[in-house]
Amino acid sequence: MITVFNLCKSYDSIEALKGISFDIQKGEFYGLLGPNGAGKTTTISILSTILKPDQGEVTIAGFDLQKNPMECKKHIGVVPQELALYNDLTAYANLQFWGSLYDISATTLNTRIDETLHLFGLYDRRNDKVKTYSGGMKRRINIASALLHRPDVLFMDEPTVGIDPQSRNLIFEVMEKLHKEGMTIVYTTHYMEEAERLCNRIGIIDKGRIIAQGTLDELKSSSDIDETIMITFSNLTDTHYDRLAESFDVSKAGDHAIRFISKAVQRDLSVIILKCHEAGLDITDVSIQKINLETIFLRLTGKQLRD
Amino acid sequence: MIRLAIKDLRLFASDRRAIILSFVVPIALVTLFAFAFGGVGQKKGESRPATIVIADEDKSEASINVIAKLDSLKELEVYQTTRDSAEAMVKKGDETAVLVFHKGFADSVNAGTKLPVEFEYDASKEAEVGILQGSLIGNLMGIIGGKSMAKEAIANFDKENPSIEEDSRKRIHEQITQNFSSGETKKQSASFITSTPLIAEKQNSPGLIHAVAGTSVMMLLFSVVGMGVSLLDEKEQGTLKKLLYSPIRPDTILFGKMLYVNLISIFQLVIMFIFAKLAFGLDIMPHLTSLILMIIATAYACSSFGVLLASIAKSRQQVQAFSTLIVMIMSCIGGSMIPSFAMPVFMQKMSVFSVNYWSIQGFYDIFWRMLPLQDSTFLSRLVVLVLIGTTLNIIALIMFRRNILKIA
Ligand SMILES: Nc1ncnc2c1ncn2[C@@H]1O[C@H](COP(=O)(O)OP(=O)(O)OP(=O)(O)O)[C@@H](O)[C@H]1O
Ligand SMILES: [Mg+2]
Repeated sequence: MITVFNLCKSYDSIEALKGISFDIQKGEFYGLLGPNGAGKTTTISILSTILKPDQGEVTIAGFDLQKNPMECKKHIGVVPQELALYNDLTAYANLQFWGSLYDISATTLNTRIDETLHLFGLYDRRNDKVKTYSGGMKRRINIASALLHRPDVLFMDEPTVGIDPQSRNLIFEVMEKLHKEGMTIVYTTHYMEEAERLCNRIGIIDKGRIIAQGTLDELKSSSDIDETIMITFSNLTDTHYDRLAESFDVSKAGDHAIRFISKAVQRDLSVIILKCHEAGLDITDVSIQKINLETIFLRLTGKQLRD
Repeated sequence: MIRLAIKDLRLFASDRRAIILSFVVPIALVTLFAFAFGGVGQKKGESRPATIVIADEDKSEASINVIAKLDSLKELEVYQTTRDSAEAMVKKGDETAVLVFHKGFADSVNAGTKLPVEFEYDASKEAEVGILQGSLIGNLMGIIGGKSMAKEAIANFDKENPSIEEDSRKRIHEQITQNFSSGETKKQSASFITSTPLIAEKQNSPGLIHAVAGTSVMMLLFSVVGMGVSLLDEKEQGTLKKLLYSPIRPDTILFGKMLYVNLISIFQLVIMFIFAKLAFGLDIMPHLTSLILMIIATAYACSSFGVLLASIAKSRQQVQAFSTLIVMIMSCIGGSMIPSFAMPVFMQKMSVFSVNYWSIQGFYDIFWRMLPLQDSTFLSRLVVLVLIGTTLNIIALIMFRRNILKIA
């Protein structure tokens, strides 16, 4: 459905994308996971035709993005990272307007608007101005407005930023429903839980490069780690950390905690705790975590997904 | 494009401030100005010399003499041409009045009968006409009238009849002097010269026209800027970007905006003139076609100005700072505030650089000068407005294309 090859983009002095390539099959729920400034929005902007890449090739639904942007546009729906709605119009009028930009008959559009409003639980508020909506409701309308033309591909750029759990759950349910119905979705986020829950394939992006790609299982099995042990201390200093780093595979997890990476927890745990005691550290909490995207990312980049 | 415009119209309708600015404020201002300029703009004292166009059809020594004397006066600037072209100038509104010395001027000076001098004027320019008429009649009286006239007549008689008997000559001289005696001349002074309005005085008072046309155009410029700025709002809200995701051509976004601004502008002007009719009895019915054309041309030119500002500027604040200044300057030199003819000459010359000038003159053409639709002067104003609009729109499109790539 989407092929991306060697995409490069620089803003003045910043190299935002340094050669990104991936393929997305029809019906896939593809997650682009990366920290702030990784290049997610830049990638989505290029794929949604509003930003010209410096280099690279993109095809969407069989159309070349550079040569035939109009055809590409007809096949995509975009949910931008920032809310983009007319606050002084009602939700209904907003949907009507955004839908009218596509080639849909008025009657079809009206039934779709009603369906979509029901889907997002906003039907009762359809005649209220968007400016009277809560943040979560605006997010929902923002997404709804990208779905009216039933796009083959939906690009979503961090659609759940600053959202309440209730709206988030509702959005997830809608996303899963659309996915089941066969829509191809490209979803960017820096929340690994979201990617884990929703996406069937994930690309991890950092500093303008895709550093790992695959299904969650593939990513897990390709990693050399198994579990992580997180220990919190009451008196952690840099000197302590440096000492522990000499003997273990560690990374910082905030000011008071250290994450130890382990291939066999049962064997390693006692050794680690002993070493910590020797170093004079007071342990306040120990937790063992199964491998997840967070730890994979940490492993790959040496930093955490969220700063 | 139409859908984009409809969306903007809906937004406009939901924006109470915009509606007040576009309709209520202009109506209030027109009312204010209509009262301020009241019936007339008479009170404006002119300090610069009044220009009078003179057509000398007599071409006699007497007429040439009188014209030379008028020309030497400080308060009058004389410009001579043929009667046809002089009358055309007045009809176009370029000049206020013509003084025609008909054939037989010299004879009638000699005979002491009513002078065949005609003052043809544009009654819509009451103030200027009044000044000219006063100064002309006074001066003509001084030059031709009374004793000087009698003397001239006597001299003329002597010249033409050198061989007449001394007795009869004396008798005739006395008669001539008597003819020009004070009593006789006084009677004549009221109808000393014939005054003919070339352009009829209307029930539409010039003060009212000025208030309606001047204020409408100025307020239109202000509200057009406000509407143009909605383009920048779209940029800031992110909706412009979202429009670019959809399969409409980017240019269409600008065209949609232009359509919207034009529609509201036309609507605003229509409301203003309807209001002027209802409230002040401005007679719009006889000139409906011209008026509609002028409204469309004005709306088009003004809209393009608003859209241009929006596509050049980077932010709302930037537009607002600049636009107020530009609109005020244009309105000032274009005659929205003070009528053009009452301004110093250099400002009158600059006024052609403002949208206001062409529109206001166009409305004057319709309501004061009562020019017919086919009149070349009136049409030229329409053409200039359309040219201004088109030029600004093209620049706006270029700027929009250049800026929109930066937006994304
Ligand atoms: N318009 C721009 N001008 C200059 N630099 C930009 C611009 N947009 C993005 N960048 C830079 O490009 C890099 C990638 O930005 P991008 O917005 O793609 O990141 P992101 O992954 O979407 O981040 P976030 O999670 O914060 O949304 C960043 O370093 C950013 O500073
Ligand atoms: Mg982003």
